[in-house]
Amino acid sequence: MQLGFHFDQTRCTGCWTCVVACKDWNDIPAGSANWMRVSQIVRGKYPNLWMGFLATPCYHCLEPACIEACPTDAITKRQEDGIVVVNRDACLGRDKCAVCLEVCPYGSPQFGDKPDARMQKCDFCLDRWKVGKKPVCVMACPTRALAAGPIEEMKSSYGNLQQAAGFLYARELGPSVVLKPKDDPAVPDAG
Amino acid sequence: MLEDGDIPETDAQERIIPTVCSCHCGGCCVVKAHVKDGIITRIETDDGEEPQLRACLRGRAWRQRVYAPDRIKYPMKRIGARGEGRFEPISWDEALDTIAGELRRIRNTYGPEAILFWGGGGDMGMLQDSGKRMARLLALMDSFVNLYWGIASFEGGVFADMSTFGTYWTGSTRDDLLNSRLILMWGWDPSVTIQDTNTAWYLAQAREAGVRIISVDPRFTSSTATFAHQWIPIWPGTDAAMLIAMANVIITKNLHDQAFLDKYTVGFDKFKEYVMGQEDGVPKTPEWAEPITGVPAETIRNLAHEYAKTKPSALIAGIGPGRSAYGEQYHRAAITLSAMTGNIGIPGGSSGSRSWGTVGLLQIGPGMKIPKSPARDKPVQPKNKLPNRATAPFGHGTVNSCLLNDALLKGRAGGYPADHKLMYINNSNVLNQWPNTGKTVAAFKNLEFIVVEEQFMTPTARFADILLPSTTFLEQCDLVMGAQMPPNYGYRTKVIEPLGECKSQLDIASALAERLGIADFNDKSADEWVEQMLQSSYVTDIPALREKGFQKITLPEPHVAFRKQIEDPDNNPFPTPSGKIEIYSQVIADMNKPDLPPIPKYIESWESRNDPLRAKYPLQLITTHTRRRAHTQFDNIPWLRELDPHSVGMNSTDAEARSIKDGDMVRVFNDRGQIIIPVKIIETIRPGVVDIPQGAWYAPDENGIDRGGCCNVLTLDRPSPGWAWPTNTALVQIEKA
Repeated sequence: MQLGFHFDQTRCTGCWTCVVACKDWNDIPAGSANWMRVSQIVRGKYPNLWMGFLATPCYHCLEPACIEACPTDAITKRQEDGIVVVNRDACLGRDKCAVCLEVCPYGSPQFGDKPDARMQKCDFCLDRWKVGKKPVCVMACPTRALAAGPIEEMKSSYGNLQQAAGFLYARELGPSVVLKPKDDPAVPDAG
Repeated sequence: MLEDGDIPETDAQERIIPTVCSCHCGGCCVVKAHVKDGIITRIETDDGEEPQLRACLRGRAWRQRVYAPDRIKYPMKRIGARGEGRFEPISWDEALDTIAGELRRIRNTYGPEAILFWGGGGDMGMLQDSGKRMARLLALMDSFVNLYWGIASFEGGVFADMSTFGTYWTGSTRDDLLNSRLILMWGWDPSVTIQDTNTAWYLAQAREAGVRIISVDPRFTSSTATFAHQWIPIWPGTDAAMLIAMANVIITKNLHDQAFLDKYTVGFDKFKEYVMGQEDGVPKTPEWAEPITGVPAETIRNLAHEYAKTKPSALIAGIGPGRSAYGEQYHRAAITLSAMTGNIGIPGGSSGSRSWGTVGLLQIGPGMKIPKSPARDKPVQPKNKLPNRATAPFGHGTVNSCLLNDALLKGRAGGYPADHKLMYINNSNVLNQWPNTGKTVAAFKNLEFIVVEEQFMTPTARFADILLPSTTFLEQCDLVMGAQMPPNYGYRTKVIEPLGECKSQLDIASALAERLGIADFNDKSADEWVEQMLQSSYVTDIPALREKGFQKITLPEPHVAFRKQIEDPDNNPFPTPSGKIEIYSQVIADMNKPDLPPIPKYIESWESRNDPLRAKYPLQLITTHTRRRAHTQFDNIPWLRELDPHSVGMNSTDAEARSIKDGDMVRVFNDRGQIIIPVKIIETIRPGVVDIPQGAWYAPDENGIDRGGCCNVLTLDRPSPGWAWPTNTALVQIEKA
């Protein structure tokens, strides 16, 4: 079974509630480590504008680039649910390595600002999942733009689309996410 | 902290205590605090039945706020000059003795009106922060004088509601938006400003249900971008002109609902004379409105057609445009348009009243009583205030609150009813939020004694003589009510013990009352008060409410404002002199105030686009909201600060003309003052308009130049004739610093 996300770009207002909820739940201090990142995409010039947002946690890819690149096997993909997790003790750290961040197209490996920082990232709120709760970002979103669960359920509920403004579909990695893109009438195939 | 992949240990010691956040954003959102060993470890929100009362990013940041290292934890006494922000810790005994002594001294020397209690709308609750406890205390020492009236958020809207409808309770519940066929968002950005939990969620659902949504706003806000099908940029301060031009189109094409107007309104004919040009020879056509508003005439015409022909349509008058010079005209025009199209009192329509419209479905017991005292404000009715204003909240008093700093400086010599000498401030960052900061600072320096109850060293706290450490909502028992969606009661259990020597507002007042020798100030604990207040509420099972933390009141159908008045007018007249919706208000006419016409009109304001002052200060300043703060609250919270660094937002065209690049430090200035902050170059604002989000903390450097970016350094404390708050009317210039 592979877990994954659904993101509805048409509902997302870029409000950052998921970002803060994640930081609170996982006790991440203010600083450059953000397990959930929200990007703002603005197209056009005044007054012909389009704006959308993209919320990116970790997509727990089927063939993660980070695992491939990691020299110490600090990153593994769980058999039972496909969640990609990192063993910080085995990680060489930001100052010595950080190759995982270089190869991930989604910026999911995070390090933060402390000296000898080890990699940290979205783990699908496994502590919550194990007691029957959805990831905290999903339950936080004020416009219910996020969903999570077995990816097959995500597909049957929300469809198979893997495109959205700002989202790079890395086919060879197989990100475990389906999205509802926000259409830009000026750029029909930009989603 | 768990490593990825670990199996969590079960922790029998961790409890989840539900409570409700209500930070004066309009929301009333569930916060479930995980508490272990008396410390909050993390936060969740409502995860029960939909519609859930989900907290926003500010609600989720409370743990960082309550444990912030810069919390004020001890009473403090000023050393150095007032406003320097230099304090030394003192005991509660010394603090309370000093305050009691000063209250007595000032009262005996100058009289009761020299004491000014100033509350606000910060970390809010029905018991703890309500102005009632200090009002009661002061009344018991015959020193309570209630002089100031007015609501900064939307007084222009209240003027419109009280004169046109005769009531303050003009809102529908947000689920009624799903019944609309067209939603016209006018200066409304609820994904940022909240204005009730779930507002953005209902807009998302409305859009998905096929409701057409149009947004009129100087900015391409995230609410506009996400929900609206069409964006119409408009010059700030010109909203009444566009609405009136729409009325012109609707009348010209005979699209108005004459039957509705005949049955439910008075004065439409006089408004029509003005709109069609019979009154002053100027027909208020879209061509007339175009140079004023910056909106092409054809766009205005098309919108008027669409709005009038689509039924039901909900015109939602955002309160931002109302915070402008003559903002009350904008609000009156929005109501009038809703009446002209017969959209008032029908499902999916709208009263056209302020977007944060009070619904008034819940009730609660009164809490602390304010005894009568000889010093209390006698019912003097100033001529410049609507006679029925006192029936709406914050309506008692003779001086509009916008004039506070003027009144503090000039006192009786300036025609005000009092010379204030002592100010007791709580739940308010008034020094930061009142227009014309330079003047407010001077006014504060003029006072003999200032007490501030605060959580943080805010710009107002820096001006205290005695600074008292206040608890947050998580450290005290209280009660809140959410207007919608759905209406809910929130029971605030005390989640953790007060930090340091912090005391709840009730405890502070009780301790002060004891020092003052007031025997019968308070006989109940906070829990007992909340119990009592709940006795007169719609909560039938108080222990269940206490355990769950909140109770939603399920309505059988959306609440539609004025439905009874429209469906059964004979038995439900509007509470106006005529019993009808007063497009023409004789009450306003009788006030006989210049620039306060009895029908809605467009009036060109000071510091508008046509003001010759534009030669010097060509840019229109608006002071919008950022989701990183709730007014000035959360400004110092790291998780939120890092999301949206404070800056002035400026269009690339204006920046290029000044050789300004993104991120440059710029000076924003006018005759009232200057600030130096970074610039953010954006496409999402009209050229000619700049945006400094309100609520950033005033922080003057050694030369007195504000580096915190407080927009009120630049705004003017000149209220509108109908008392609309003026903070979105100011001209500025920007240059590289």
